[in-house]
Amino acid sequence: MSTTFRYRVVHETRYRYSSTVTSSRQLAHLKPRVTPWQEVHSHSVTVAPAAVECADGEDYFGNGVLRFAVYDPHDELVVRAQSEVSVRACIEPAQIRPIPWKTAQAHQAIGEPVDLGVEQYRCASPLAPVLEAAADYARPSFESKRRWGDAMLDLTERIHRDFVYDATATTVTTRVAEVLAHRRGVCQDFAHLMISCLRSLGLPARYVSGYVLTREHQGNRRLVGADASHAWVASHCPGIGWVAFDPTNAKLAGTEFVTLGWGRDFSDVTPLRGVVLGAATQMLSVAVSVQPV
Amino acid sequence: MLATYAFEEGRFDELFERPHQPRPHWAGLFRELTRSSAVELRERLSWAERQIRESGVTYNVYADPKGFDRPWDLDVLPLVIAPEEWREIEAGIMQRATVFDAILRDLYGEQALLKSGAIPASLIFNQSAFLRPAHGIVPPAGIHLHVYAADLARSPDGRWWVMADRTQAPSGAGYALENRLIVSRTFPALYKDLHVQHLARFFASLRESFMHFAPKGDGPTLTVLLTPGPYNETYFEHALLARYLGFPLVEGGDLTVRDGRVWLKTIGGLRRVHAILRRQDDDYCDPLELRTDSALGVAGLVDCARRGSVLIGNALGSGVIESGALLGFLPQLTEQLTGEPLRMPSVATWWCGERAALEDALEHAERLVFKPADRAMGFDPIFGADLDAAGLAQLRAKLNAHPEHFVAQELIHVSQAPVLGKGEQRRLAPRGVGLRVFAVATPAGYVVMPGGLTRVASTRSQRVVSMQRGGQSKDTWVLSSAPVDTAFTLLRSTVTAKDLVRLRAGIPSRLAENLFWFGRYEERCDDCARLLRVALNLSLQETDAEDNARAPVLALAQAFQILKPGEEHEERALLSAATRESHRFGLPANLRALEGIAFNLRDRMSLDNWRTINALLKDPVLGRETSLGDTLAWLDRTVTSMMTLSGFALDGMTRDDGWRLLSIGRRLERLAFQCLALRVAFREGLHSGLGWLLELADSTVTYRSRYLARPEWLPVLDLLVADPDNPRSVLFQADGIHGYLVKLERVYGPCGCDEFAPMLRALTSFAPAKLDPENADLRDAIDGLRIAAFNLSDRLAERFFNHAHASTATMLGL
Repeated sequence: MSTTFRYRVVHETRYRYSSTVTSSRQLAHLKPRVTPWQEVHSHSVTVAPAAVECADGEDYFGNGVLRFAVYDPHDELVVRAQSEVSVRACIEPAQIRPIPWKTAQAHQAIGEPVDLGVEQYRCASPLAPVLEAAADYARPSFESKRRWGDAMLDLTERIHRDFVYDATATTVTTRVAEVLAHRRGVCQDFAHLMISCLRSLGLPARYVSGYVLTREHQGNRRLVGADASHAWVASHCPGIGWVAFDPTNAKLAGTEFVTLGWGRDFSDVTPLRGVVLGAATQMLSVAVSVQPV
Repeated sequence: MLATYAFEEGRFDELFERPHQPRPHWAGLFRELTRSSAVELRERLSWAERQIRESGVTYNVYADPKGFDRPWDLDVLPLVIAPEEWREIEAGIMQRATVFDAILRDLYGEQALLKSGAIPASLIFNQSAFLRPAHGIVPPAGIHLHVYAADLARSPDGRWWVMADRTQAPSGAGYALENRLIVSRTFPALYKDLHVQHLARFFASLRESFMHFAPKGDGPTLTVLLTPGPYNETYFEHALLARYLGFPLVEGGDLTVRDGRVWLKTIGGLRRVHAILRRQDDDYCDPLELRTDSALGVAGLVDCARRGSVLIGNALGSGVIESGALLGFLPQLTEQLTGEPLRMPSVATWWCGERAALEDALEHAERLVFKPADRAMGFDPIFGADLDAAGLAQLRAKLNAHPEHFVAQELIHVSQAPVLGKGEQRRLAPRGVGLRVFAVATPAGYVVMPGGLTRVASTRSQRVVSMQRGGQSKDTWVLSSAPVDTAFTLLRSTVTAKDLVRLRAGIPSRLAENLFWFGRYEERCDDCARLLRVALNLSLQETDAEDNARAPVLALAQAFQILKPGEEHEERALLSAATRESHRFGLPANLRALEGIAFNLRDRMSLDNWRTINALLKDPVLGRETSLGDTLAWLDRTVTSMMTLSGFALDGMTRDDGWRLLSIGRRLERLAFQCLALRVAFREGLHSGLGWLLELADSTVTYRSRYLARPEWLPVLDLLVADPDNPRSVLFQADGIHGYLVKLERVYGPCGCDEFAPMLRALTSFAPAKLDPENADLRDAIDGLRIAAFNLSDRLAERFFNHAHASTATMLGL
């Protein structure tokens, strides 16, 4: 039995609007996903001013979503999500079976049912396109005889090494091609880049949205991407399954990672997106804390 | 007539079996044509052309440098189709619609076709038209495809083929209807004798099916037609269909979502919407769950569809079928889904994302046409035959790099049909034709419109027949072997007396707001033109010491912001305000604003309004150096046109609440202007003559005939302030506004009477003796009314237009 770690996560989003908002409709991806390695003990979202028409649901990718509206006139909207989860190790580098990476490139054999859960992540998506430049960047990691796990870890480490973490370099809509050209960005950019690299080689890759532990973990260094929502990448290999890699921290995503959900890219699992009536501009601040309990 | 009608080897001719031998089903039309004299034909044609002009049939072309509207280009000769041939087409279209609906149900549900590999998963997952948020939505009665259209063409062997399928928001049915209305009246006897099948029943089926399938509750079932707005190239059709079907024409901003249901924002409050006939592309329909950059959508619409509280036709995500990539798989899918072979085949089409297809396409590139596999990629078709060796090599490189982006299609040498030439001789000329046909889902299965929109290639050799490229169109006559049931018309009443009250309260807020501002701007243009005319006339008039009006008139021009304080060259500045669009508060800028509002009202106002404003803005005096004389003549034209516009409103509009708001807008603007003029006169013109003030208020003639004397303050103020019968007096405006408010308040509750009425009372209780420019009470009353007018504008905006504003913004949080 591997050890489990229990965390309390608080994710607070605060919008300040330039003028009074009279109507607001929001779609939240803030509920941690239940997975074989992650249990969700409690989860709640509070909204100020009070939300109405609240409804829980599930999106195309199986993530929990919350829809709500706010009709009280307001200049500020605060959405606070609190969850308690426990996480155990899903995979160690040594456990990744030595399979040639090209195995993951192949589609299923003729006549076999198609695994749509894998196939849909091979295709380009708005923020993680299939690009020749991304394939070129990835190729050195994917020498023809290399094992899948080694190639993946190599790409993860190279992105970490070659790219500068710079919160001022990009915005939520920065494109992979730009990130590749300027060699800087944040976790989200590195995740999109890595997904583009993998898809451009015909490998399935998905975008994982979540958090990393705020403090040091088991004596390890403090991870980049704490105090905010974080993003990393999972890829699928037949015989191994989905394995998550964090190019921002050059490692496998292990027990210090809390998973919110996944999709093709950020646009599928934006933590909070909304349409408001009345305001021209907004100031956004986000505070995240992940504490062991 | 036939002298120039050329036959072409290897091409099917619709009219002739062989030279001089018309096909039996064309014989009737052919006889009529050969019998009619050139003069007769010319008369019929000019009648048809006049119909098009007057009904304002247009097709907007985004890229058209000549402006938005290109008149509809109709060739009056219909394409004639024999009954037995039509039965085949009809059955083929019904089958395709059924199959596509089943495919959509699977793609947005179980996805068994993807899991089994019947449709390659990557083909669908690479489509931007595959809308993941729409997955899992079960539409009312399980129907995804309500309106389906197919583009057909006939190959040299006489068979019909499908060139493309339209499943998103097919256009053209309304144009087909308009063509029918014109062509059937161009050849009335022939139309009856030939037993041409009528179109009305198809539209009735569409309307009744939407009513039938729509969820119910919260009042009478309401279906709206959702348009992206007047800038869309087929907006005319949206307006036409809305009117014909009796569905309110709405834009995204007219709708809102509350409690998981869709509502129409009207000046009487929210009205539940049960069904939406969608002419807006689905990815623009909801900025919350679909394209976040869409300013056209309704936030929360996807969720309403998911809850089943609204019917959206076609269902969100139905555009995924339009990709030609699917066509190669259709024969097997049809067998699998219906157990029958595909009746109406598609032109041979392959998705290059499959290895074998790619190799084939590479090999035969020079005789294929390449199209985007995803319509969102939006490149023009590439004709292999047009490319030289280098071009072909380039194409092959592109294909190899991204085969999944391409669909390869065989070229069809489409059939030709006769069109009537434009020259004096009206000769028949052959042109390539394609036929767009339509089907609608009904409780009894799909019903196909007996007819369709025939599209004509603009040159003999043109290979792509498309409206966007500016082609002609024709009516399509499907003959019937039996007499046609003509008793049927869509105009029978389905409105009950109870609905009447509701319908009257149903004016969308945005429409009401546009009408209000139309009234205000129309009056503002009039005020501006009159003031400029009075000011420019100053320099022409012989100087009359007693009538020196320079000071007050120029002060008013400054207050009206058409003249800067301390301006040295007054006349030049005023000329510029009269003719230069760069002047922010000048006449052309105000006319331009009026045009913008009128544009949004095109489906509600007669075309004459639009033409009148257009003529002004195309006036040669604008934008060039002009003399004083030319400018004064232009101001006269403007004043006349504004009177024409108000005449249209007075004479041609129903006195509904929309008209009331337009009238309030106009009177409120005039009231504010009169008050401003009077206040300036009190301040600056106590010792000037008063001729200018009368002229400004168009009251010179009345004054002269009534008093036969030089203008003096007391009678002038009586005429301009207190006369209840002078349509330019302050009291007349205030009284009228009050009357309209009382009527509105009866239906909608308080909307400003409480503040406005005391101001009106203050004015009516004025003793004639107190009509003195130096009387402080009079000044206060005038000031009070002017402020009350502006306050009222705000009150009305808050009460009626507030939810018209679509200033939404989509915001992402991390």
